[in-house]
Amino acid sequence: MMTAVNPSPRGTFLLDRGASLPLLLPATLLVLVFLVGPFYYMIYTAMTDLSFANPDQKGAFVGFDNFRKLVREDSIFWGSFWLTIRFVVASVAVEFVLGFGLALLIWRFIERQRLLTTLLLVPMMLAPVAVGLIWRLLLQGDFGMVTYYLRQFGILSQASAVFSSPALVMPTVIAIDVWQWTPFVTLIILAGLMSMPRSPFEAATMDGAGPWRQFVDILLPLLRPIIALVLLLRGIDAFKEFDKVFIMTGGGPGTVSELLSIYAYRVNFKNWNLGYGAAVSFMVYLVVLILCSVFYKAVYWKTAGERA
Amino acid sequence: MDKFWKIIAIGVLACVLVIALTPYLWILLTSFKGRLDILAPQPTWFFTPTLANYPAVFIDKDYLPLVFNSLIIATGSTTLSLLIGAPAAYVFARSNFAGKEDLFFFFLTTRMAPPISIAVPLFLFFTMLGLTDTIYAVVIAHTTFNLSLVVWMMRGFFAEIPKEIDEAAMMDGRSKLGAFVRVIVPLAAPGLAATAVLCFIMSWNEFLYAFILVAFEGRPITVGIPGLITPHGTLWGQVAAVAVVATLPILVFTFLVQKHLVRGLTFGAVKG
Repeated sequence: MMTAVNPSPRGTFLLDRGASLPLLLPATLLVLVFLVGPFYYMIYTAMTDLSFANPDQKGAFVGFDNFRKLVREDSIFWGSFWLTIRFVVASVAVEFVLGFGLALLIWRFIERQRLLTTLLLVPMMLAPVAVGLIWRLLLQGDFGMVTYYLRQFGILSQASAVFSSPALVMPTVIAIDVWQWTPFVTLIILAGLMSMPRSPFEAATMDGAGPWRQFVDILLPLLRPIIALVLLLRGIDAFKEFDKVFIMTGGGPGTVSELLSIYAYRVNFKNWNLGYGAAVSFMVYLVVLILCSVFYKAVYWKTAGERA
Repeated sequence: MDKFWKIIAIGVLACVLVIALTPYLWILLTSFKGRLDILAPQPTWFFTPTLANYPAVFIDKDYLPLVFNSLIIATGSTTLSLLIGAPAAYVFARSNFAGKEDLFFFFLTTRMAPPISIAVPLFLFFTMLGLTDTIYAVVIAHTTFNLSLVVWMMRGFFAEIPKEIDEAAMMDGRSKLGAFVRVIVPLAAPGLAATAVLCFIMSWNEFLYAFILVAFEGRPITVGIPGLITPHGTLWGQVAAVAVVATLPILVFTFLVQKHLVRGLTFGAVKG
């Protein structure tokens, strides 16, 4: 029970201020020094022309020039932004539908779930870099195992290799994200299904409601907080995607698979254009922060409040 | 009829398992293959296994220290996060003060922050302190995101312990801090262990912070991976061996904390 979340006016002052402060302070300080400090430093840097590649740009204050240039002129940034949005929407949508379906199958038909869910965990617990590596090997043009079978079944033409084909690279990247993260959706939806009360379904069966009606009228409304939670957590994570794609494609061919994080990486650590790079990083942060507040307001607060 | 659907369901789930596990099985097999078996245009499922890839990369190419670096970084950041985060979580679970929920949300944003946004200023900051290219930089960076995981997860675990226990401990003449350390922490031990393992996994699997903050000294195994891939002539047997070593410990850990995994992955919002 998250009783503590319930903001009752008469709190249990079990720990008064004198005892709470030393317990709370180290954590707060660490975050202030190593996250909030750098965050404001990033905003400051974003208003300078700092660049390690150009000795003339020593970090003179330029106001909002970087942001203006980014929003108004940088077509690569906007291309990357919309690519990232498409990537997030496509992969999360597919993961959700497949993951939900699998969760329903397991919930309805499998009594002993432990071994099955354990094995399903494997893809999502692997380091994303390792996942990128594994799929790079599997999809090698000359000797990749998956490439071979895709060609055998005529899905892939003989000559093409997926990571060097501009048309195939994003669908492949999305498919691999789906491979890694569908189990996450399954696991959490399954946890929600298992904790659902039985009685509404029994009552509905007595009233003669069919499975479809029960699904739409009872199951979906009961699961709504968990569905929102899964979508937001996956959305935030997908928006930050870097490791897998960086290892598999490096953003290429060209900039076809250059997601926002990879673009930000390139501006900062390949071009060493740190002032402008900070502005790009800030924009990435902003989007995640918005998604994050939605998560907190819509999901956590609500579910915690209901349970308290 | 129900039996029929059950068979269909089991069939579908079996296919899903094959798709989920075969890629990992393949990298495992590849790590025991010789060069010819790896480069064969037709996939080889049966072959004469060799152990040569492992010493070739971990001894000859000196990748073994990277495994130790990963261990030090993951252990260090887990320990730090728990030491600093658990007391804070206890305060969030027990006392009320103005702005508590805002502060709590603030901890969440640190976990959600995109690494690329934080890594850039952190890189500049550590450059100023002269800490880049040291293992400390990575330990600190990983502590920042693991800390909020600890705060969020442990708040729930502490809240599950009845308040009466704190009160009884204090009646016995313990101070508040004493009650926390001697009574509450032991009671929350299973939760602490699960949280620790999750922190360890997060740190071990992390790539971007470490990749930006350390290039040579102190780099963990994840950062060693890209260096093995070259445009031509990548030695996939060795790459696979590194991938296996970088993932097997985590899979073992995962199975240990499976029970608490859902809770950890949803920041305590779903009990699982």
